[in-house]
Amino acid sequence: MTVETFMSQRGEVSPKFIEKVKGIVGEENVSESECDLISYSLDYWLYGIFLSQYGKLPALPSVVISPRSSEEIQSILRCANEYKVKITPFGGGSGVLGGAIPIEESAILNLQRMNKFISLDETSLVAEFEGGIIGANLEQELNHRGYSMGNIPQSFYCSTLGGWISTRAVGQFSTKYGKIEDMVLGMEVVLPDGNLLNIKPVPRRSTGPSLKELFLGGEGTLGIITKAVVSVHPLPERTIKQSFVFDSIEVALDVVRKILRGDAKPAVVRIFDEPETARYFEEIGNKVTLIFISEGETDFVKLEGKLIKRIAEENGGASTGEKPVDIWLEKRFDIGLGPIIMQQGGIVDTIEVVSLFKDAANLYSDMVSAMRAVEGAISVSGHFSHFYREGACLYITFAGFPKDPLRYYKDTWTAAMEATLRNNGSISHHHGIGFWRKDFMQQELGPHGVELLRRIKLALDPNGILNKGKLIDGK
Amino acid sequence: MENKKELEQITNCALCANMCKHGCPVYLATGNETVTPQKKARLVLYEKKAFIEDEKGFFDVMFQCAMCGACKLNCLYDNFDLRDFIQKERNEAFKKGIIPDETRKRVETFARFGNPNGERRLIQKGEGEIGYFISCSTYSDQQLLKAVERILAKNGDHVQEFGGGDICCGAPLYYAGDSEGFKKAAGKMKEKIEQRKLQKVIISCPTCIKMMTEIYPEVGVHLDIEFIHITKFLHTLLKEGKITVNKVNATATFHDPCILAKELGITTIPRDIIKMLGFELKEPIYLGKEAHCCGGVPGGRIGDSKLVNKVNAMRINELKETAADVYISACPTCKAVLSDIDMKDIAEVVAEQIIDG
Repeated sequence: MTVETFMSQRGEVSPKFIEKVKGIVGEENVSESECDLISYSLDYWLYGIFLSQYGKLPALPSVVISPRSSEEIQSILRCANEYKVKITPFGGGSGVLGGAIPIEESAILNLQRMNKFISLDETSLVAEFEGGIIGANLEQELNHRGYSMGNIPQSFYCSTLGGWISTRAVGQFSTKYGKIEDMVLGMEVVLPDGNLLNIKPVPRRSTGPSLKELFLGGEGTLGIITKAVVSVHPLPERTIKQSFVFDSIEVALDVVRKILRGDAKPAVVRIFDEPETARYFEEIGNKVTLIFISEGETDFVKLEGKLIKRIAEENGGASTGEKPVDIWLEKRFDIGLGPIIMQQGGIVDTIEVVSLFKDAANLYSDMVSAMRAVEGAISVSGHFSHFYREGACLYITFAGFPKDPLRYYKDTWTAAMEATLRNNGSISHHHGIGFWRKDFMQQELGPHGVELLRRIKLALDPNGILNKGKLIDGK
Repeated sequence: MENKKELEQITNCALCANMCKHGCPVYLATGNETVTPQKKARLVLYEKKAFIEDEKGFFDVMFQCAMCGACKLNCLYDNFDLRDFIQKERNEAFKKGIIPDETRKRVETFARFGNPNGERRLIQKGEGEIGYFISCSTYSDQQLLKAVERILAKNGDHVQEFGGGDICCGAPLYYAGDSEGFKKAAGKMKEKIEQRKLQKVIISCPTCIKMMTEIYPEVGVHLDIEFIHITKFLHTLLKEGKITVNKVNATATFHDPCILAKELGITTIPRDIIKMLGFELKEPIYLGKEAHCCGGVPGGRIGDSKLVNKVNAMRINELKETAADVYISACPTCKAVLSDIDMKDIAEVVAEQIIDG
């Protein structure tokens, strides 16, 4: 093996464990081949991706296990407890915080064989899927039947339903359809001890603290999500696209705040700062651009469209029509520039945080300034998306050509996290913690919050087998 | 890597977020990350940089690809086709003698008989400037051949049928990585076609058309002849009233062959034909350019029969979900490997409904 690992060496696993696991999933679904180890060594943590071009991988799994059923996963986890084998769950491998990297000399539990549509209940507007289904395939199953889940993240083509739940993910159409926690009604989870938990799908319940919440954002540390029942919507009858330009982020934020206060629920709301406006919409120039997509029943959509137009124009917005929305729709999945920059020695990444409206503009300016001040920075730009009546997610994209890539990467992240915390924001809106953002959890949750999570982890997973070193240590 | 541009291209793919994996039938049928396009690109990059020790394991992955073009269809980058890189690795594997057993068997059969089927008779019927080439997949399908003959008889001009024996486009060698063998086969095929003085050749197999129009020029073999897929020919006959058909009162599902849809761009013509026959179309979830590959024959585009079976089973399940009365395709290989759902070739369905007179 000439591939170099820079975080965690490949672990040794007891041959007895391997034999037992082969007995559970079949020989062909347990692999120690070099190509498989390389392929499951990294998710989409961008510093890792940057180094991967030079043959440097963060870690290599001890073994790759690919089960086909919840029952198989139950047996595997029981076996892992018996032999004290650490397990890293691997969904689509699209996470950007290193949550699926097999550090701590762990084995990979590949969940992508469990990728089937199970059922659609058109009366209750819910559908059930296995956790390993890719977002685009899930949506294709629903669209074919006249429905949509409405969760379209940028990783739509490479992330899984189980991954969305595990990271508390959010899609581009979230202001209408909600975030993953609003969409998931029930789920099946294999607990670290191998027992099966079924959280039945109902709209809500009053049966003590919500167990569902433990696994929404659990990042594979508390259980393996094998199935989920999600809310679905009939495909929209009508779509209205609108865009407006403003002189400042502050005014644009205020417009969105007023629109949402008026009970409007546009599916897409995005405020692009000047650099992102220039990148997406060349014709607009040095302005702030606000785009909306309203969709659903024709009468509602028309009414919502009118309300948006009135409030935007009353507050100084100049309409720029549908074109910017179409451009965004066309470009929204295009991450093709990242690999080109990385090949030239550049570092790129994104950071998403969240705050109340009262802090949003300050958070934006402080965070952008702090990140631009890091040596090696070339570009820092941002947009607000995923709106609530109370606040919004701020999404920053940065790139640099530093002399010391790791130093630049760490310093930029630290600058961003510190700016977020001093502006009363939360350090992550929807990408999660993984291992990379873990150091900021103490400041985010406070010592008692982190301790509480640790105790929960310890209670569920006393041997610390599941996704060790991610989210919280469980030590 | 031969040049800087190629290195940049494969590195872009290796550093991408795998934005095309949702379309890859080999990935969807197996759930195996290693066979996804981005991971294959990483492996190609690592092999070129000599980071990989397990050469056999690496070459095996290169044969775990349907070569269907789903990744190209969903690619973020213009002018990039991962299959070009996979093909080069297959060529390398062949030179080193590290190819899957089933692929090797097909190559050996080809070496002995000049085709992947084995011993077979030469077919030469009729005359004229229009030809119908009996591809290797068509040769073993008597029902399809009879149907084609019935249709050809309705064409105003004479059509000469030819195929069988050692006449083959060379695709089995191409996908096996036998680049020298393929070049020779292409030259021989050119000779066989040119000696028949044809202006136009109708073919049922989309792969033959891809080889003769796209791949032959890459190896310096140029054929100044029009190749048309049988669906286009059927469509013209129906539109021009050269054949009239009974209307069928049934439902039908069309399986888009990957090369026909993704590379030849033919997706609406077969559906028009099916509708002209009176069928009500029941579409599967994945259709047109997004249709998943049937898996092909073992040792063909995919090297290993277990993997072929998985891809095949997935496509059969997708098609079965429509619960149509009739399943139709327009590629003799798809028809053969999807036989569990009683697949028919579009030419057979048309021939069954021809009104004589």
